[in-house]
Amino acid sequence: MSNWLPKSAAGRRWLGLAPSYVVIGIFMLVPMVIMGVFSFLEPNPYGGVKPVVSLDAYVKLFFEYDLEDNLVFNPGYINIIFRSFQLSIGATLLCLIFGFPVAYYITLQPENRRNFYIYLITIPFWTNLLIRTFAWIIILGRGGVIETPLLAAGIIEDSLRMMYTDGAIAIGLTYSYLPLMVLPIYASLEKLDFRLLEAASDLYASRLEVMTKVVIPLCKPGIIAGCILVFIPCLGAFIAPNLLGGGKKLMLGSLVQFQFASARNWPFGAALSMLLLSAVVIALVFYARAARKRAVLEGSA
Amino acid sequence: MACFKPATTCFNMNELIPAITANNVVKHYGGNTSPVIALKNISLEIRDNEFFTLLGPSGCGKTTLLRLIAGFEQVTDGEIMLFDDEIANLEPNRRPVNTVFQHYALFPHMTVGQNVAFGLERLRKTRSEIESTVDEVLTLVKMKHLADRRPNQLSGGQQQRVALARALAPSPKVLLLDEPLSALDLKLRQAMREELKQLQKETGITFVFVTHDQEEALAMSDRIAVMSEGEVQQIGAPTDIYEHPVNRFVADFIGDTNFLDGEIVSIADDLVTCRIGSESLFEAENSGGHTIGDQVSLFLRPEKITLSPSNETSGTRPGKVTNLVYLGNQAAYTVNMGDGIEMTAQARPREDGNLPFAIDDPVAVGFSARALRVLAQ
Repeated sequence: MSNWLPKSAAGRRWLGLAPSYVVIGIFMLVPMVIMGVFSFLEPNPYGGVKPVVSLDAYVKLFFEYDLEDNLVFNPGYINIIFRSFQLSIGATLLCLIFGFPVAYYITLQPENRRNFYIYLITIPFWTNLLIRTFAWIIILGRGGVIETPLLAAGIIEDSLRMMYTDGAIAIGLTYSYLPLMVLPIYASLEKLDFRLLEAASDLYASRLEVMTKVVIPLCKPGIIAGCILVFIPCLGAFIAPNLLGGGKKLMLGSLVQFQFASARNWPFGAALSMLLLSAVVIALVFYARAARKRAVLEGSA
Repeated sequence: MACFKPATTCFNMNELIPAITANNVVKHYGGNTSPVIALKNISLEIRDNEFFTLLGPSGCGKTTLLRLIAGFEQVTDGEIMLFDDEIANLEPNRRPVNTVFQHYALFPHMTVGQNVAFGLERLRKTRSEIESTVDEVLTLVKMKHLADRRPNQLSGGQQQRVALARALAPSPKVLLLDEPLSALDLKLRQAMREELKQLQKETGITFVFVTHDQEEALAMSDRIAVMSEGEVQQIGAPTDIYEHPVNRFVADFIGDTNFLDGEIVSIADDLVTCRIGSESLFEAENSGGHTIGDQVSLFLRPEKITLSPSNETSGTRPGKVTNLVYLGNQAAYTVNMGDGIEMTAQARPREDGNLPFAIDDPVAVGFSARALRVLAQ
């Protein structure tokens, strides 16, 4: 044995894990600490930060200065945050409504075909999200794929004005993150013992009751995981809101992006990010609690 | 209301109406081009309030038939009647039959009590009715004290009881049991046999039991249908099936059997004489319908053969022990009787625990012509 290795087993184990510590440190901890520190500094008008400690960024989340330099409550950013949650929840629900049947359908296929369908589900990830979202402009936009035939057939007389609406953003978000809903639900459905479905229908459960009483409760972990995987990136999304929402109806993600790229207020962008982060952490804590409770209830079979 | 009193007070059904009637049931799997034939043409009647067993090797179609009755599969052709109703095209949740599954299929996210209540809830029973029925059936299977447990906190035998309680709770007209004992260990399996039989008597519900274990079938059933390759070979009481098998498959599948292949040389009123090997003559019971020259198999159960020391010779044939298998309460001997004839016989160990014969011992092989039966080859 080489003598540069640590003597104790614990030491060697630590050495073995060192690469992962380094990766987590560099790619997760360091950026987060920078973000946290920046949020407590003052902005430099030319971008970046001035090394002066200040709570301005957090104050700005809720208040603004009026003409006489008094601090007054400003609901503007709170509204954006509220809208972000609304849209993200809406998109998550849409993903669930469309994603669950897809996952269920795939589960019912013969084994060799299932992998092929899963492969199809992941294909959109191969292209840039920006380009895929642009495609929706062509679909939804004025003179787009939906409007043109309807106009030509005389069913509608004017543009439907689907672009630059909350609906367009929700559609864009749903489209972007649908695979993240399908995959975890599929993973939990695949483990489902389909004999339980027979048992349920043998015990007089209708098809709907088989779904609501057996299938959905048993794949709840997959549904929760899928909802988290969709909800979190939706909160921080800025491509769909910017392209399909026209950048006027901001979401949290686009606001953050705007602070860093255009407004040059890094501390405020960082403060917004910290807010986003805490929302996500709180959501995850609730999930972990629910998962632990479930594990305790069902024991370890 | 659930009714778990003796059958006589429970059912006033005409005894002559069968609980289940299968008429020319055919089941194919797969496409029309190369279907797998699971059931060729099954017709049978399962009487009300009987313990009926479908017995056969794996792949004989017994489970398919059970699944057709339960409604998990659709018949390719034929009809299935439940009392007076045609049920072959009903959804499983519209058939008043319940199933005990081979691997229990208990809902893991529900407690024992919730599992048992499931069917009653789907039938929209009242809360109080559900509670009292759940109580009643859990008491019946001795699982009341574990009503709040989850299935994965139970042993295999306990899960078995819960599955039974769950299927009995809605008081089905027929209870289907798909090899419910196969996952249990031997001792438990034997105990459950008696309990199942007892439960059937107490509830008065018709049980249709699927198994590949002939001992299980003999021990529990009122009647047995022996199946092979998608066809019913024989239906009868356990003693009928064991003592009077209609063909070689049934004789071979149930219990241990000696087969002697030969030709009928003469027929008397109640005995036929067959030539086995080149010159050995055996007399067997005349079951009728034989003609001289028929190629037949004689069959003889090992326990019908008496082995004795070779000096006792009256009415016996000489033989020589070629092999023995010690089984504890008895030993199975292979005896060579010359002329290419070998038979398996049984003998009990003596009181001092020693076996009566050893390999190469000469023995006298005794059996009655009444014990030999003629089967078509």
